[in-house]
Amino acid sequence: MDIFALLMWPIKWVIEAILVGFHTLVTALGGDPGSGLTWVLSIVGLVLVIRSAMIPLTVRQIVSSRKSLEIQPEIQRIQKKYKGKKDQFSREAMQRETMEAYRKAGTNPFASCLPLLIQMPIFLGLVQVLTDANNRMPGVGLLTERLATLFSESTLFGVVPLHMTMADGFAEGSLPVIGVAILLTLIMVVTQFYTQLQIMTKNQTPAMKESPMYKQQRILLYIIPVFLLVSAWLFPLGTMFYWLVSNIYTLVQQLIIINKLPTPGSEAALAREARLARKRQRMGLPPIDEATAAEEPSVELKTQRQQPRAKRPKSRRED
Amino acid sequence: MSRSLQRLRLLPRNICVAILVSYRAVISPLYGDVCRYYPSCSSYTLQAIQQHGVVRGIWLGARRILRCHPWAAGGVDDIPEPHPRLATTRAGFVLAHKEQ
Repeated sequence: MDIFALLMWPIKWVIEAILVGFHTLVTALGGDPGSGLTWVLSIVGLVLVIRSAMIPLTVRQIVSSRKSLEIQPEIQRIQKKYKGKKDQFSREAMQRETMEAYRKAGTNPFASCLPLLIQMPIFLGLVQVLTDANNRMPGVGLLTERLATLFSESTLFGVVPLHMTMADGFAEGSLPVIGVAILLTLIMVVTQFYTQLQIMTKNQTPAMKESPMYKQQRILLYIIPVFLLVSAWLFPLGTMFYWLVSNIYTLVQQLIIINKLPTPGSEAALAREARLARKRQRMGLPPIDEATAAEEPSVELKTQRQQPRAKRPKSRRED
Repeated sequence: MSRSLQRLRLLPRNICVAILVSYRAVISPLYGDVCRYYPSCSSYTLQAIQQHGVVRGIWLGARRILRCHPWAAGGVDDIPEPHPRLATTRAGFVLAHKEQ
Protein backbone atom coordinates (compact mmCIF):
# COMPACT_ATOMS: atom_id res chain seq x y z
CA MET A 1 0.00 0.00 0.00
CA ASP A 2 2.98 2.27 0.61
CA ILE A 3 4.19 1.95 -2.98
CA PHE A 4 0.73 3.05 -4.02
CA ALA A 5 0.92 6.14 -1.79
CA LEU A 6 4.35 6.93 -3.21
CA LEU A 7 2.99 6.70 -6.76
CA MET A 8 0.04 8.93 -5.92
CA TRP A 9 2.18 11.53 -4.14
CA PRO A 10 3.21 13.60 -7.20
CA ILE A 11 -0.31 13.45 -8.66
CA LYS A 12 -1.83 14.64 -5.38
CA TRP A 13 0.80 17.37 -5.07
CA VAL A 14 -0.06 18.77 -8.52
CA ILE A 15 -3.81 18.54 -7.87
CA GLU A 16 -3.42 20.40 -4.58
CA ALA A 17 -1.23 23.05 -6.18
CA ILE A 18 -3.80 23.72 -8.93
CA LEU A 19 -6.73 23.69 -6.48
CA VAL A 20 -5.03 26.04 -4.03
CA GLY A 21 -3.88 28.27 -6.90
CA PHE A 22 -7.42 28.68 -8.17
CA HIS A 23 -8.73 29.09 -4.63
CA THR A 24 -6.27 31.96 -4.09
CA LEU A 25 -7.23 33.45 -7.45
CA VAL A 26 -10.99 33.33 -6.79
CA THR A 27 -10.47 34.73 -3.29
CA ALA A 28 -8.34 37.54 -4.71
CA LEU A 29 -11.15 38.32 -7.15
CA GLY A 30 -13.50 38.83 -4.24
CA GLY A 31 -14.79 35.33 -3.52
CA ASP A 32 -15.45 34.24 0.04
CA PRO A 33 -12.62 31.80 0.90
CA GLY A 34 -14.97 29.66 2.93
CA SER A 35 -17.88 29.45 0.51
CA GLY A 36 -18.70 26.33 -1.45
CA LEU A 37 -18.92 28.29 -4.66
CA THR A 38 -15.25 29.29 -4.41
CA TRP A 39 -14.28 25.63 -4.03
CA VAL A 40 -16.53 24.57 -6.91
CA LEU A 41 -14.89 27.21 -9.10
CA SER A 42 -11.49 25.90 -8.02
CA ILE A 43 -12.55 22.42 -9.07
CA VAL A 44 -13.76 23.79 -12.42
CA GLY A 45 -10.34 25.42 -12.83
CA LEU A 46 -8.69 22.09 -12.08
CA VAL A 47 -10.70 20.40 -14.84
CA LEU A 48 -9.88 23.13 -17.33
CA VAL A 49 -6.15 22.91 -16.58
CA ILE A 50 -6.00 19.11 -16.75
CA ARG A 51 -8.11 18.79 -19.88
CA SER A 52 -6.35 21.64 -21.66
CA ALA A 53 -3.02 19.98 -20.93
CA MET A 54 -4.35 17.03 -22.92
CA ILE A 55 -5.36 19.02 -26.00
CA PRO A 56 -2.03 18.36 -27.77
CA LEU A 57 -2.69 14.64 -27.39
CA THR A 58 -6.17 14.96 -28.87
CA VAL A 59 -5.01 17.11 -31.76
CA ARG A 60 -2.15 14.75 -32.48
CA GLN A 61 -4.61 11.88 -32.62
CA ILE A 62 -6.97 13.65 -34.99
CA VAL A 63 -4.15 14.70 -37.31
CA SER A 64 -2.88 11.16 -37.54
CA SER A 65 -6.38 9.83 -38.16
CA ARG A 66 -6.70 12.28 -41.06
CA LYS A 67 -3.39 11.07 -42.42
CA SER A 68 -4.62 7.52 -42.30
CA LEU A 69 -7.06 8.45 -45.07
CA GLU A 70 -4.18 8.04 -47.46
CA ILE A 71 -3.94 4.34 -46.89
CA GLN A 72 -7.69 3.75 -47.09
CA PRO A 73 -7.33 1.76 -50.33
CA GLU A 74 -4.99 -0.63 -48.56
CA ILE A 75 -7.36 -0.95 -45.62
CA GLN A 76 -10.30 -1.53 -47.94
CA ARG A 77 -8.32 -4.23 -49.72
CA ILE A 78 -7.83 -6.00 -46.39
CA GLN A 79 -11.49 -5.59 -45.47
CA LYS A 80 -12.54 -7.01 -48.81
CA LYS A 81 -10.25 -9.96 -48.34
CA TYR A 82 -11.97 -10.86 -45.07
CA LYS A 83 -15.45 -9.83 -46.08
CA GLY A 84 -18.13 -12.05 -44.63
CA LYS A 85 -15.68 -14.01 -42.51
CA LYS A 86 -16.87 -13.52 -38.97
CA ASP A 87 -15.05 -16.30 -37.16
CA GLN A 88 -12.55 -15.34 -34.50
CA PHE A 89 -9.44 -16.36 -36.40
CA SER A 90 -10.29 -14.41 -39.53
CA ARG A 91 -11.10 -11.32 -37.48
CA GLU A 92 -7.83 -11.64 -35.62
CA ALA A 93 -5.87 -12.06 -38.83
CA MET A 94 -7.68 -9.06 -40.31
CA GLN A 95 -6.88 -6.88 -37.31
CA ARG A 96 -3.25 -7.96 -37.45
CA GLU A 97 -2.98 -7.05 -41.11
CA THR A 98 -4.77 -3.75 -40.61
CA MET A 99 -2.52 -2.70 -37.74
CA GLU A 100 0.57 -3.73 -39.66
CA ALA A 101 -0.62 -1.67 -42.64
CA TYR A 102 -1.05 1.39 -40.41
CA ARG A 103 2.40 0.90 -38.92
CA LYS A 104 4.00 0.61 -42.36
CA ALA A 105 2.25 3.77 -43.54
CA GLY A 106 3.42 5.61 -40.43
CA THR A 107 -0.12 6.68 -39.49
CA ASN A 108 -2.55 5.33 -36.96
CA PRO A 109 -6.18 6.36 -36.48
CA PHE A 110 -6.37 5.16 -32.89
CA ALA A 111 -6.06 7.39 -29.86
CA SER A 112 -3.66 5.18 -27.84
CA CYS A 113 -4.19 3.96 -24.30
CA LEU A 114 -1.85 6.07 -22.20
CA PRO A 115 -3.90 9.32 -22.12
CA LEU A 116 -6.99 7.38 -21.01
CA LEU A 117 -5.13 5.64 -18.25
CA ILE A 118 -3.53 8.83 -16.99
CA GLN A 119 -6.99 10.22 -16.19
CA MET A 120 -7.86 7.41 -13.78
CA PRO A 121 -5.15 8.14 -11.17
CA ILE A 122 -5.95 11.85 -11.50
CA PHE A 123 -9.55 11.21 -10.48
CA LEU A 124 -8.40 8.87 -7.72
CA GLY A 125 -5.93 11.50 -6.52
CA LEU A 126 -8.70 14.10 -6.41
CA VAL A 127 -10.91 11.79 -4.34
CA GLN A 128 -8.03 11.28 -1.90
CA VAL A 129 -7.22 14.99 -1.71
CA LEU A 130 -10.84 15.90 -1.03
CA THR A 131 -11.29 13.11 1.51
CA ASP A 132 -8.17 14.24 3.40
CA ALA A 133 -9.26 17.88 3.31
CA ASN A 134 -12.65 16.78 4.51
CA ASN A 135 -11.06 15.18 7.58
CA ARG A 136 -9.15 18.43 8.16
CA MET A 137 -5.87 16.71 7.44
CA PRO A 138 -3.16 18.73 5.66
CA GLY A 139 -2.42 17.41 2.17
CA VAL A 140 0.96 16.41 0.77
CA GLY A 141 1.80 19.90 -0.46
CA LEU A 142 0.17 23.30 -0.61
CA LEU A 143 -3.17 22.30 0.92
CA THR A 144 -2.51 23.35 4.51
CA GLU A 145 -4.55 22.43 7.54
CA ARG A 146 -6.13 25.89 7.50
CA LEU A 147 -7.33 25.43 3.90
CA ALA A 148 -8.47 21.87 4.64
CA THR A 149 -10.59 23.17 7.51
CA LEU A 150 -12.02 25.85 5.22
CA PHE A 151 -12.95 23.18 2.70
CA SER A 152 -14.51 20.83 5.21
CA GLU A 153 -16.68 23.66 6.53
CA SER A 154 -17.62 25.08 3.13
CA THR A 155 -21.19 24.78 1.94
CA LEU A 156 -22.86 25.59 -1.33
CA PHE A 157 -25.54 28.27 -0.84
CA GLY A 158 -25.15 27.73 2.90
CA VAL A 159 -27.02 24.41 2.92
CA VAL A 160 -25.11 21.90 0.78
CA PRO A 161 -21.76 20.82 2.28
CA LEU A 162 -19.40 19.77 -0.54
CA HIS A 163 -17.92 16.88 1.39
CA MET A 164 -21.22 15.00 1.67
CA THR A 165 -22.21 12.08 -0.50
CA MET A 166 -25.74 11.20 -1.53
CA ALA A 167 -25.64 8.50 1.13
CA ASP A 168 -24.81 11.15 3.77
CA GLY A 169 -27.70 13.22 2.48
CA PHE A 170 -30.11 10.39 3.06
CA ALA A 171 -28.55 9.53 6.42
CA GLU A 172 -29.02 13.07 7.68
CA GLY A 173 -32.29 13.62 5.88
CA SER A 174 -30.91 16.74 4.21
CA LEU A 175 -33.16 17.49 1.26
CA PRO A 176 -30.87 20.08 -0.41
CA VAL A 177 -27.97 17.59 -0.46
CA ILE A 178 -30.17 14.85 -1.93
CA GLY A 179 -31.60 17.29 -4.45
CA VAL A 180 -28.21 18.58 -5.62
CA ALA A 181 -26.79 15.04 -5.81
CA ILE A 182 -29.73 13.85 -7.92
CA LEU A 183 -29.54 16.92 -10.15
CA LEU A 184 -25.80 16.40 -10.71
CA THR A 185 -26.36 12.73 -11.50
CA LEU A 186 -29.09 13.57 -13.99
CA ILE A 187 -26.93 16.12 -15.81
CA MET A 188 -24.06 13.63 -15.86
CA VAL A 189 -26.25 10.85 -17.22
CA VAL A 190 -27.58 13.11 -19.95
CA THR A 191 -24.16 14.46 -21.02
CA GLN A 192 -22.50 11.04 -20.90
CA PHE A 193 -25.35 9.42 -22.82
CA TYR A 194 -25.39 12.16 -25.44
CA THR A 195 -21.60 12.11 -25.95
CA GLN A 196 -21.53 8.35 -26.30
CA LEU A 197 -24.48 8.38 -28.66
CA GLN A 198 -22.84 11.04 -30.80
CA ILE A 199 -19.61 9.07 -31.07
CA MET A 200 -21.39 5.82 -31.79
CA THR A 201 -23.95 6.93 -34.31
CA LYS A 202 -22.03 9.61 -36.13
CA ASN A 203 -18.30 9.20 -35.78
CA GLN A 204 -17.80 5.53 -36.55
CA THR A 205 -17.23 3.92 -39.91
CA PRO A 206 -19.46 1.06 -41.08
CA ALA A 207 -16.52 -1.28 -40.52
CA MET A 208 -16.27 -0.18 -36.89
CA LYS A 209 -19.99 -0.73 -36.48
CA GLU A 210 -19.54 -4.33 -37.59
CA SER A 211 -17.10 -5.18 -34.83
CA PRO A 212 -18.35 -7.04 -31.75
CA MET A 213 -17.08 -4.13 -29.65
CA TYR A 214 -19.86 -1.99 -31.08
CA LYS A 215 -22.63 -4.20 -29.73
CA GLN A 216 -21.06 -4.11 -26.29
CA GLN A 217 -20.90 -0.34 -26.53
CA ARG A 218 -24.60 -0.23 -27.30
CA ILE A 219 -25.49 -2.31 -24.26
CA LEU A 220 -23.25 -0.21 -22.04
CA LEU A 221 -24.97 2.93 -23.15
CA TYR A 222 -27.83 1.84 -20.94
CA ILE A 223 -25.71 0.62 -18.04
CA ILE A 224 -23.74 3.87 -17.62
CA PRO A 225 -26.59 5.69 -15.80
CA VAL A 226 -26.67 2.96 -13.17
CA PHE A 227 -22.90 3.31 -12.69
CA LEU A 228 -23.20 7.04 -12.27
CA LEU A 229 -25.97 6.67 -9.72
CA VAL A 230 -23.83 4.30 -7.66
CA SER A 231 -20.86 6.67 -7.82
CA ALA A 232 -23.05 9.60 -6.80
CA TRP A 233 -24.05 7.52 -3.81
CA LEU A 234 -20.41 6.88 -2.88
CA PHE A 235 -18.39 9.98 -3.84
CA PRO A 236 -18.58 13.43 -2.20
CA LEU A 237 -20.31 16.22 -4.14
CA GLY A 238 -16.94 17.92 -4.69
CA THR A 239 -15.71 15.02 -6.84
CA MET A 240 -19.01 14.89 -8.66
CA PHE A 241 -18.51 18.49 -9.74
CA TYR A 242 -15.14 17.49 -11.15
CA TRP A 243 -16.73 14.66 -13.06
CA LEU A 244 -19.58 16.78 -14.31
CA VAL A 245 -17.39 19.59 -15.66
CA SER A 246 -15.09 17.02 -17.20
CA ASN A 247 -18.09 15.41 -18.93
CA ILE A 248 -19.27 18.71 -20.33
CA TYR A 249 -15.73 19.43 -21.55
CA THR A 250 -15.66 16.08 -23.35
CA LEU A 251 -19.07 16.73 -24.88
CA VAL A 252 -18.08 20.10 -26.30
CA GLN A 253 -14.77 18.74 -27.56
CA GLN A 254 -16.53 15.80 -29.19
CA LEU A 255 -19.07 18.05 -30.91
CA ILE A 256 -16.23 20.17 -32.31
CA ILE A 257 -14.42 17.05 -33.51
CA ILE A 258 -17.54 15.61 -35.14
CA ASN A 259 -18.18 18.90 -36.90
CA LYS A 260 -14.68 19.79 -37.98
CA LEU A 261 -12.59 16.66 -38.02
CA PRO A 262 -14.84 13.60 -38.29
CA THR A 263 -13.48 10.07 -38.63
CA PRO A 264 -12.90 9.46 -42.33
CA GLY A 265 -15.63 7.23 -43.77
CA SER A 266 -18.11 7.85 -40.96
CA GLU A 267 -21.56 9.36 -41.23
CA ALA A 268 -20.26 12.62 -39.76
CA ALA A 269 -17.61 12.82 -42.48
CA LEU A 270 -20.26 12.39 -45.20
CA ALA A 271 -22.39 15.06 -43.54
CA ARG A 272 -19.41 17.39 -43.45
CA GLU A 273 -18.67 16.82 -47.15
CA ALA A 274 -22.32 17.50 -47.98
CA ARG A 275 -22.17 20.71 -45.92
CA LEU A 276 -19.03 21.88 -47.69
CA ALA A 277 -20.53 21.03 -51.09
CA ARG A 278 -23.67 23.07 -50.30
CA LYS A 279 -21.47 25.94 -49.22
CA ARG A 280 -19.56 25.83 -52.50
CA GLN A 281 -22.84 25.84 -54.39
CA ARG A 282 -24.11 28.84 -52.46
CA MET A 283 -20.93 30.71 -53.23
CA GLY A 284 -21.35 29.90 -56.90
CA LEU A 285 -18.25 27.76 -57.17
CA PRO A 286 -18.22 24.67 -59.34
CA PRO A 287 -18.48 21.43 -57.39
CA ILE A 288 -15.23 19.65 -56.67
CA ASP A 289 -14.24 17.85 -59.84
CA GLU A 290 -15.46 14.29 -59.92
CA ALA A 291 -12.23 13.21 -61.53
CA THR A 292 -10.12 14.38 -58.61
CA ALA A 293 -12.11 12.28 -56.22
CA ALA A 294 -10.37 9.26 -57.63
CA GLU A 295 -12.59 6.27 -57.94
CA GLU A 296 -11.70 3.31 -55.85
CA PRO A 297 -9.94 0.80 -58.04
CA SER A 298 -11.91 -2.35 -57.50
CA VAL A 299 -9.47 -4.93 -56.34
CA GLU A 300 -9.81 -8.26 -58.03
CA LEU A 301 -9.00 -10.85 -55.45
CA LYS A 302 -8.04 -14.29 -56.51
CA THR A 303 -8.97 -16.52 -53.68
CA GLN A 304 -8.73 -19.59 -55.80
CA ARG A 305 -6.06 -20.64 -58.20
CA GLN A 306 -7.09 -20.84 -61.83
CA GLN A 307 -7.48 -24.53 -62.50
CA PRO A 308 -5.42 -25.78 -65.46
CA ARG A 309 -7.45 -27.30 -68.23
CA ALA A 310 -6.56 -30.59 -69.76
CA LYS A 311 -5.91 -30.54 -73.50
CA ARG A 312 -8.75 -32.01 -75.36
CA PRO A 313 -8.04 -34.94 -77.56
CA LYS A 314 -7.70 -33.98 -81.22
CA SER A 315 -10.89 -35.78 -82.14
CA ARG A 316 -12.98 -33.50 -79.87
CA ARG A 317 -11.37 -30.18 -80.70
CA GLU A 318 -13.74 -27.76 -82.31
CA ASP A 319 -11.45 -26.19 -84.87
CA MET B 1 -2.25 -33.02 -4.18
CA SER B 2 0.19 -31.49 -6.64
CA ARG B 3 -2.77 -30.47 -8.72
CA SER B 4 -4.29 -28.34 -5.95
CA LEU B 5 -0.83 -26.97 -5.19
CA GLN B 6 -0.54 -26.01 -8.83
CA ARG B 7 -3.94 -24.29 -8.61
CA LEU B 8 -2.80 -22.41 -5.53
CA ARG B 9 0.35 -21.32 -7.36
CA LEU B 10 -1.78 -20.00 -10.21
CA LEU B 11 -4.28 -18.28 -7.92
CA PRO B 12 -2.63 -14.81 -8.02
CA ARG B 13 -2.59 -14.71 -11.80
CA ASN B 14 -6.15 -15.96 -11.99
CA ILE B 15 -7.24 -13.15 -9.66
CA CYS B 16 -5.53 -10.68 -12.00
CA VAL B 17 -7.17 -12.40 -14.97
CA ALA B 18 -10.57 -11.98 -13.32
CA ILE B 19 -9.95 -8.24 -12.84
CA LEU B 20 -8.76 -7.78 -16.40
CA VAL B 21 -11.60 -9.81 -17.90
CA SER B 22 -14.17 -7.72 -16.07
CA TYR B 23 -12.37 -4.54 -17.13
CA ARG B 24 -12.48 -5.72 -20.74
CA ALA B 25 -16.17 -6.56 -20.47
CA VAL B 26 -17.41 -3.49 -18.62
CA ILE B 27 -15.09 -0.48 -18.83
CA SER B 28 -13.14 -1.03 -22.03
CA PRO B 29 -16.17 -0.82 -24.38
CA LEU B 30 -16.89 2.66 -23.04
CA TYR B 31 -13.83 3.95 -24.85
CA GLY B 32 -14.29 2.04 -28.09
CA ASP B 33 -11.22 0.97 -30.07
CA VAL B 34 -8.37 3.16 -28.93
CA CYS B 35 -5.26 1.00 -28.86
CA ARG B 36 -2.64 1.54 -31.51
CA TYR B 37 -1.39 -2.03 -31.31
CA TYR B 38 -2.62 -5.52 -31.94
CA PRO B 39 -3.36 -7.16 -29.53
CA SER B 40 -4.73 -4.22 -27.55
CA CYS B 41 -3.01 -3.18 -24.32
CA SER B 42 -5.50 -4.97 -22.07
CA SER B 43 -5.40 -8.13 -24.17
CA TYR B 44 -1.60 -8.00 -24.17
CA THR B 45 -1.49 -7.60 -20.39
CA LEU B 46 -4.00 -10.42 -19.98
CA GLN B 47 -1.88 -12.78 -22.07
CA ALA B 48 1.32 -11.62 -20.38
CA ILE B 49 -0.11 -12.36 -16.92
CA GLN B 50 -1.48 -15.71 -18.09
CA GLN B 51 1.81 -16.82 -19.57
CA HIS B 52 4.46 -15.01 -17.52
CA GLY B 53 2.84 -14.67 -14.11
CA VAL B 54 1.63 -11.67 -12.13
CA VAL B 55 4.87 -9.77 -11.53
CA ARG B 56 6.40 -10.11 -14.98
CA GLY B 57 2.96 -9.81 -16.59
CA ILE B 58 2.18 -6.51 -14.89
CA TRP B 59 5.69 -5.27 -15.71
CA LEU B 60 5.25 -6.19 -19.39
CA GLY B 61 1.76 -4.69 -19.46
CA ALA B 62 2.87 -1.43 -17.84
CA ARG B 63 5.70 -1.07 -20.34
CA ARG B 64 3.29 -1.76 -23.18
CA ILE B 65 0.88 0.95 -21.97
CA LEU B 66 3.79 3.39 -21.78
CA ARG B 67 4.55 2.46 -25.39
CA CYS B 68 0.95 3.13 -26.43
CA HIS B 69 1.14 6.92 -26.71
CA PRO B 70 -0.04 9.18 -29.55
CA TRP B 71 3.42 9.32 -31.09
CA ALA B 72 3.85 5.56 -31.29
CA ALA B 73 3.69 3.88 -34.69
CA GLY B 74 1.56 1.01 -33.41
CA GLY B 75 1.32 -2.27 -35.32
CA VAL B 76 1.44 -5.87 -34.27
CA ASP B 77 3.11 -6.41 -30.90
CA ASP B 78 2.78 -9.82 -29.28
CA ILE B 79 3.94 -10.84 -25.82
CA PRO B 80 7.42 -12.35 -25.58
CA GLU B 81 7.30 -16.13 -25.79
CA PRO B 82 7.57 -17.61 -22.31
CA HIS B 83 10.48 -20.02 -22.31
CA PRO B 84 9.83 -23.30 -20.54
CA ARG B 85 12.25 -24.13 -17.76
CA LEU B 86 15.01 -26.61 -18.38
CA ALA B 87 15.19 -29.62 -16.11
CA THR B 88 18.05 -29.82 -13.64
CA THR B 89 19.63 -32.68 -11.73
CA ARG B 90 19.64 -32.85 -7.96
CA ALA B 91 23.14 -31.38 -7.91
CA GLY B 92 21.99 -28.48 -10.05
CA PHE B 93 23.35 -29.42 -13.46
CA VAL B 94 21.18 -28.44 -16.39
CA LEU B 95 19.74 -31.22 -18.49
CA ALA B 96 18.97 -31.06 -22.17
CA HIS B 97 15.22 -31.49 -21.85
CA LYS B 98 12.38 -29.39 -20.53
CA GLU B 99 11.18 -29.59 -16.95
CA GLN B 100 8.25 -31.97 -16.64
